[in-house]
Amino acid sequence: MDFTISEELKSAQQLAQQILGDFTSVDQLKVIEKQAERMDTALWRALAEAGLLGLDIPEGNGGIGLGFYSLTMLCEEVGRTVASVPVIPVLVSAAGTLRRFGSDAQKDHWLSAIASGATLVTAALEEYNNDDPSMPGSSAQKMDGGYSISGTKICVSQAQSAARILVSARAGDDLVVALVDPRAAGVTLNAQLVTTGETRHELVMNKVQVPTADIIVTGREATEAMEWALQATRTALSAMAVGVCDKMMRITGSYTSEREQFGRALATFQAVSHRVADCYKDVECLRLVTQQAASLLDQGRPADEAVLMAKIWCGDVTHRVSQASQHCHGGTGVDRDYVLFRYCELARQIELTAGSSARLMGELGQDICAEYLAKAG
Amino acid sequence: MNIELTTQQKALQMEVREYMKTVMTPELLEEMKIDDLKEGGGPEFRKQYARMGADGWIGLSWSKELGGREMSHVEQYIFTDEVVRSGFAYPFLTTEAVTPVIAANANAEVREEVVGGVKQGKVTIAIGYSEPNAGTDLASLTTRAERDGDHWIINGQKMWTSLGNFADYVWLAARTDPDASKKHKGLTMFLVPTNIKGFSCNPVHTLGVRTNATFYSDIRLPDKYRVGEVNAGWKLITGQLNIERLSLFTHGQVDSLYQGVCEWAAETPAPGGGKIIELPWVQHNLAKVKTGLEVVKLICWKQAWTMDQGPLNMADASVAKVYSSEFFVELYRMLLEVMGQAGTIATHSPGAVLKGKLEFRWRVGAVLTFGGGANEVQRDIIAMAGLWMPRTR
Ligand SMILES: Cc1cc2nc3c(=O)[nH]c(=O)nc-3n(C[C@H](O)[C@H](O)[C@H](O)COP(=O)(O)OP(=O)(O)OC[C@H]3O[C@@H](n4cnc5c(N)ncnc54)[C@H](O)[C@@H]3O)c2cc1C
Repeated sequence: MDFTISEELKSAQQLAQQILGDFTSVDQLKVIEKQAERMDTALWRALAEAGLLGLDIPEGNGGIGLGFYSLTMLCEEVGRTVASVPVIPVLVSAAGTLRRFGSDAQKDHWLSAIASGATLVTAALEEYNNDDPSMPGSSAQKMDGGYSISGTKICVSQAQSAARILVSARAGDDLVVALVDPRAAGVTLNAQLVTTGETRHELVMNKVQVPTADIIVTGREATEAMEWALQATRTALSAMAVGVCDKMMRITGSYTSEREQFGRALATFQAVSHRVADCYKDVECLRLVTQQAASLLDQGRPADEAVLMAKIWCGDVTHRVSQASQHCHGGTGVDRDYVLFRYCELARQIELTAGSSARLMGELGQDICAEYLAKAG
Repeated sequence: MNIELTTQQKALQMEVREYMKTVMTPELLEEMKIDDLKEGGGPEFRKQYARMGADGWIGLSWSKELGGREMSHVEQYIFTDEVVRSGFAYPFLTTEAVTPVIAANANAEVREEVVGGVKQGKVTIAIGYSEPNAGTDLASLTTRAERDGDHWIINGQKMWTSLGNFADYVWLAARTDPDASKKHKGLTMFLVPTNIKGFSCNPVHTLGVRTNATFYSDIRLPDKYRVGEVNAGWKLITGQLNIERLSLFTHGQVDSLYQGVCEWAAETPAPGGGKIIELPWVQHNLAKVKTGLEVVKLICWKQAWTMDQGPLNMADASVAKVYSSEFFVELYRMLLEVMGQAGTIATHSPGAVLKGKLEFRWRVGAVLTFGGGANEVQRDIIAMAGLWMPRTR
């Protein structure tokens, strides 16, 4: 048992903090927020130059190969600064899957371009009422030289600017994981405004021809790939939530220590300070379950349950800390001229992405049932 | 970052688990059916406690000089976790919290008498801090010790002195400087042998366990039983609180209850067919318990690991206390809900589920939310030490 974070990882984290800090003043955030499909390209380039886009990309593919855990630390820092950079869809869901399940040719082609910031490959894991990419409603049909894919994915980040979008589809009993070119014939992108205020896209695929070169995996391995992608995405979301919630609670602690009513700082009322103390407790709990899930995935160990529990905590804690923060601020907490609202919006976005707490609690309960029914024989 | 037990740590866990099975003899289990002996003190308890001493299982965390093994906090936690899981009424506060303080601060003769006795499993020590009018605000205590040559005259009353009915000593906090401005600086620690003239003890029966009111009436206590400097008691009280916490909250015992309920629910038929565990609301409760319990495990491990690296951050220690105590209460409820009416059947009554263990846990659940430093005070600490917020009033 060892909770130590290595010096190498710590310095990567400090570097990320420094760069993210330089790009996320309120004025800078406001400029980026005016864009439809939000993306701070200058920040993305700076992260690329520092090597931080390649944290979980092997050295042979243009990355620095520090591993999955270090990538979750980057996600946490992005959450802490509410920066508009697609670290989760691009670096975790898409690049992470490519590096583990793609062919050598695909890795050569995409990974160094992602690490250098030259190319975006995003991922579309969710469909309407379905957050499990290993059981998609989208379908794929084998044809000469590749597959023909049809179906709808939702709330896709960077769909317009990405060179490819990673999707899964079902070919009969088989699963196919493919890279879809958003400019290909049969693709329609419909703008969807989401809680964070950014525009994402509904990706409608109507018999989109995907060449063999863009098929990542099929069959059993494809199921493994999508299970990995889902676990990694949920863990990365939880890590981002740690950053978001930690910052929200600190903003609230400072605000209530300064704001006076009845002739005294709000924080000197126990009812107020205790609500913030509960946020601190919640964040610590979320941090622990997230670290556990991230380190298991990092070591390639089974992480199913650890990830479910992390994302359940993530959903609960984002909700509680966000509401407590708004409440303890009063009107300021909901004012768009004050910093907090961005954190609250991102918290809710994370909470409802890749499975809500209630939905995952249901899944975990079924897993427990199956485990103990099997034991009872 | 690797949050799993190492092979050696797992081996220690299994070693303690197997050993403790030999401690929980049928005779001891029979003795523990008697309400007043549930928390120890009976002849079978004494026999097994002394056997643990003889087998070298007491004081593993102590220095080599004291005959200990200088076990790390992580190992100590693993030991504690397994002992608590076994159900043995091991006197952790005696062995882990008080004895090391006595070893470091007592006079040589008393050190030999007490530390040696504890090591052999022959001595237990009750904690005499709380009084009828001094609870959370402990430093307002009024039990008085006045110097009389090389003796102290002690007068006062303590409340909730657990184990006081069978312990060999009370670890007593008394006021030696009545100057009200020296609230924290006027306290001194003593060891009071319970066979001394002027000591008496009345039972106090709580919802769950027996504890005691203890009385100190013109006790003439030799100065050798003073521990540490005069008026320097507060540091000795607070110095062992972190260590005390390591034994207040453990994961194993509660995890066994969770597993027990899962097994029960997988075997027990539901009224409409199938098993209880197939009901969606049961699955929901079990999943919530599992999700919360996982954090208890991680918090306990992280605390022990952190203490091996250096001092524990105050806010984090308080987080562990607040989270665990409040989650345990929730957990007892969620597991009892699964059993429904059968969850109210007490130990030793026919039909009791899991031997009524959860019915009993509920009875003691609340004690940890106000004891060991009320959770309000812990939240004050989190706000101040963790978030630099001003002191509340
Ligand atoms: C079964 C049992 C065993 C015990 N064993 C021992 C023992 O062996 N030795 C020993 O010395 N003591 C023992 N205790 C005593 C225990 O430590 C005290 O009960 C505890 O310190 C709380 O004190 P109190 O009961 O006087 O409650 P109070 O101090 O009166 O507090 C009651 C409630 O008031 C509120 N409160 C108090 N202070 C604050 C504050 N600053 N801000 C906001 N709210 C506040 C909290 O909600 C608190 O729970 C035991 C108690 C029990 C029930």
